[in-house]
Amino acid sequence: MTVTESNGATAAAKPAIEVNGVDFCYGSKKALSDIHLTIAPRQVTAFIGPSGCGKSTLLRCFNRMNDMVHGARVTKGEILVEGVNIYEPRLEVIDLRRRVGMVFQKSNPFPDSIYENIAYGLRLAGERNKKVLDEAVEQSLTAAALWDETKDRLHESAFGMSGGQQQRLCIARAVAVKPDIILMDEPCSALDPIATLRIEELIHHLKQDFTIVIVTHNMQQATRCADRTAFFYLGEMVEEGPTTKIFSTPEKQRTEDYISGRFG
Amino acid sequence: MPPTSPDVPGRFLVSKGILRIDRFMTAAIRLGGLGIIIAVFGIFVFIVSQVLPLFRGAKVEETSAIPFAAGKAPLVFGIDEWAELPFYYEGGSEVTFVDATGAKPPQTLPLTLPGGAQVTAASYISADQLVVVGTADGQVGTFTVSYDAEFGDSGKRSIVPSVTIGEFYPVGTSGGSIRSVGYGDSGDSKVAAAVQESGGKLEVHAVLLRQKRSLMGSGKLTKEGAYDLTPLLTGAPLQLRVPRTGDSVLVTTAEGVVDYIFLGGDAPEKRQEFKPFGEGRKIGSIDLVFGDVSLVLTDDLGEMSIFSLLVPEGGEQRVFVKTKTLPNLAGPASFFARSQRNKLFLTGSGAQVSLRHSTTEQVRWEKTVGFEVKGAVIDAKCASFALLDSDGNLHRYSLDDPHPEAGWKAYFGKVWYEGATKPDYTWQSTSGTDDFEPKLSLRPLIHGTLKGTFWALFFAVPIALLAAVYTAQFLRVEVKRVVKPMMEIMASLPSVVLGFLAALWLAPIIESRVPSVFLTFAGVPLTAAVVGVAWSRLPAQHRARLRPGMEWVAFIPIMLVAAWIFWSLGPVLESWICVVRDASGNPVTDPATGRTVMDFRAWWPQATGTPFEQRNSLVVGIMMGFAVIPVIFTIAEDALSNVPASLTAASAALGASRWQTLRKVVLPIASSGIFSALMIGLGRAVGETMIVVMATGNTPVMDWNLFNGMRTLSANIATELPEAPVHSTLYRTLFLGALVLFALTFLLNTAAELLRHRLREKYKLV
Ligand SMILES: Nc1ncnc2c1ncn2[C@@H]1O[C@H](COP(=O)(O)OP(=O)(O)OP(=O)(O)O)[C@@H](O)[C@H]1O
Ligand SMILES: [Mg+2]
Repeated sequence: MTVTESNGATAAAKPAIEVNGVDFCYGSKKALSDIHLTIAPRQVTAFIGPSGCGKSTLLRCFNRMNDMVHGARVTKGEILVEGVNIYEPRLEVIDLRRRVGMVFQKSNPFPDSIYENIAYGLRLAGERNKKVLDEAVEQSLTAAALWDETKDRLHESAFGMSGGQQQRLCIARAVAVKPDIILMDEPCSALDPIATLRIEELIHHLKQDFTIVIVTHNMQQATRCADRTAFFYLGEMVEEGPTTKIFSTPEKQRTEDYISGRFG
Repeated sequence: MPPTSPDVPGRFLVSKGILRIDRFMTAAIRLGGLGIIIAVFGIFVFIVSQVLPLFRGAKVEETSAIPFAAGKAPLVFGIDEWAELPFYYEGGSEVTFVDATGAKPPQTLPLTLPGGAQVTAASYISADQLVVVGTADGQVGTFTVSYDAEFGDSGKRSIVPSVTIGEFYPVGTSGGSIRSVGYGDSGDSKVAAAVQESGGKLEVHAVLLRQKRSLMGSGKLTKEGAYDLTPLLTGAPLQLRVPRTGDSVLVTTAEGVVDYIFLGGDAPEKRQEFKPFGEGRKIGSIDLVFGDVSLVLTDDLGEMSIFSLLVPEGGEQRVFVKTKTLPNLAGPASFFARSQRNKLFLTGSGAQVSLRHSTTEQVRWEKTVGFEVKGAVIDAKCASFALLDSDGNLHRYSLDDPHPEAGWKAYFGKVWYEGATKPDYTWQSTSGTDDFEPKLSLRPLIHGTLKGTFWALFFAVPIALLAAVYTAQFLRVEVKRVVKPMMEIMASLPSVVLGFLAALWLAPIIESRVPSVFLTFAGVPLTAAVVGVAWSRLPAQHRARLRPGMEWVAFIPIMLVAAWIFWSLGPVLESWICVVRDASGNPVTDPATGRTVMDFRAWWPQATGTPFEQRNSLVVGIMMGFAVIPVIFTIAEDALSNVPASLTAASAALGASRWQTLRKVVLPIASSGIFSALMIGLGRAVGETMIVVMATGNTPVMDWNLFNGMRTLSANIATELPEAPVHSTLYRTLFLGALVLFALTFLLNTAAELLRHRLREKYKLV
């Protein structure tokens, strides 16, 4: 790192993620075409759009989770995360994923205790110090607004929690490794309104420390928690801008149609 | 059925047909499940029912008591094989036959002794139906009491006895009256011996006769020599026994010593004198059990020991060694009768009657009868015996003891078999009934089973598990789609084919290239590890040239080259260390080439003192491993692949490497499945038969030597069952082997299932 000293204002100005003309294919099937997008740091960006338009695909490009899919690849363009091209061969994908965390649509805790779920990422990095781990677990659970509910049962199985708690646990797990960016793919789709609300509050809270990209089908959710919103349609990004603008005066007709519920 | 109200619309009603099929299927499935349970249980019950008789004692029942020789003084008595027409002989010129059924009065048959000699001693060799007699004028001779079955018009069997006089030989000094006689006939040599009274002293004399054999068949019987054995004796002779081997005489003396005199050499030679019991103890009785190499001795207090002829360690000649101690009798044995089929003998003291087995040292049956037993005889079929009381009555007993040689000790304990230098676990069965002792220890077979399983799993488990892990977690999907079905085809290879390959192709290769095999087996995994580490150290841009999961493209050629190098290095290694030495420790040189012989096959036995067989555990391990690999692989791979992708993705998203994900997420979750795979593999190896039958020498040895063979329980059943007569001891013993196998797998599986359950509880995904 050569830019450590210029951390302050310059870093805030520098985009967290830049997508420059990306095409993406699953085998021969094109899922994204010519996406241009800049995601600002310490902000919540929402991806909206009808089902199958490529929101998840783009999200999964940011931490190269698509590598695991057979035949999936970026065919054109580049994606920069904090200025680094993440598809460059020299890049260690493990390092990338430690900086770009992810929360999945369905909660997926490991079959282990709550404590071990949170400590997992730290242990991967070789952290053995019990005190450090304890502290990190408490911090992340507090950050995920889960500490009070779980502090007495840290060593019980994570499967003993409710669905909403499990999802917050997954968020805490992602937070524990202190990434720069957290990607969330419909994190509330399986939750009831109250649990959803709590996660939204959590997102609001987390944005002080993290850059958050969230995929959602819930327009209200986007308006409630996102600073900026990007609208996708059939593998293309139609429009991107401040959330208030997108939902009040969108520039494109298709955006207007979608948010007013005329299709999708 | 809930009542259906008429106003429910038809579309909400389930059709009758569906309900009927549902009920039918429920019943059918339940029936099938029950059927399976019943079938398995039935097999178990059947096996147990076959095995149980082995552990039963003898069944003895008194059938009748008949007046036999009341007021007479029989020297010997005997019985026919149907136990219907016993006879006795008083020493005169007639033999009396008594109908045991009482239907006919006693009948006598005349006996013309040469020169009207007077018989003073007699003994009965039941196996040959031969009565040996000694006369007052110093002759020893024989006559045969034989029985023929004749079937009358009504189809009723009647037994017709006959008496045939045999040769008489003057033994020892002429005119000396004979006190006791012994006669042993091995077919081509015969020994007749007698204790003779001469001038107020007791002497022992023996005559050795040989049957000269020529191309024209058996020739004349010629007298080889007549010997006075008295000078060889330790003291005054008491009892005399001549084994059927026809080459020796055993004499007990008043001092409590047994003298073993060998006549098979040029001159009589005292091979051994031994005191079977402690100082000051006298010998109460001496008798030979069936086979004539074991002596049953009792002392004057009734202590009983068995001495067997064997070559002791470090010795050169066969001598008698104490091999067994049996429970004491009430006093010195006063009668003795032996079975002509097995090592059972009937003995006792006074009114005590005891049926014992010499191999297993067991008392099969014992009873104190209401009379003093004067003599006993067991019929030729070993289905009954008869006891003579002092009033001349004959008590007849039925005897049912089909498996006297069986028992816990025989199967699982150390037994000192005849001819062996020490007690041991031995399997050497016999289906026939000859004088060979069946050796039925299951220990070598259990050992062989475990050994075969161990070596097979030793080869199979690492390969199968690593392959499964690699296939499930690293290999690219398109390659996996080819690999998996191939492994499944491999699993379906018949084991006969594998066994055939092992025996005829693999065994000779391995035999000639052992060092190569070792080097390859050690070297290839080592190379793989080194290459793997090197690969992971490579900068990311070089590694990126091969997509994740395609690394094998680079690895396989390297591995092949490594395998070839290590294989070719084998002979080099062999020429360094495997120097074959002769008896004096000098390297052996090949006379043809003049070079030192370097050969692993010859070197291994010299270096380790353990044998090297061509069909050995290494061959079995590899081939059985080959049979087990696909089983373990397939199941383990399934378990690994079934780990939810959401969890591996979660792990990867947290920055775990593939290896970390595998170790921390995939392996624990798949552990119960992997464990099942191992257990099923183990089960396959334990039960595997054909490969073991074909690829090992089937030698029931007890060692862990990689270069020796083995015999497993299953292979044992396969090889011996065709030879085993139904319901014989061997037949039932094979079932016992099956039961042990059953128990072994049952135990292993239960333990494994419990462990697996705990693993599954621990990592369950709900
Ligand atoms: N693993 C895959 N293999 C092949 N095609 C895929 C794969 N995943 C997604 N696709 C295709 O790529 C396109 C975009 O999918 P994506 O999952 O990104 O949609 P999405 O916007 O997240 O939809 P949703 O809102 O329903 O989650 C779809 O047409 C889908 O069929
Ligand atoms: Mg999606």
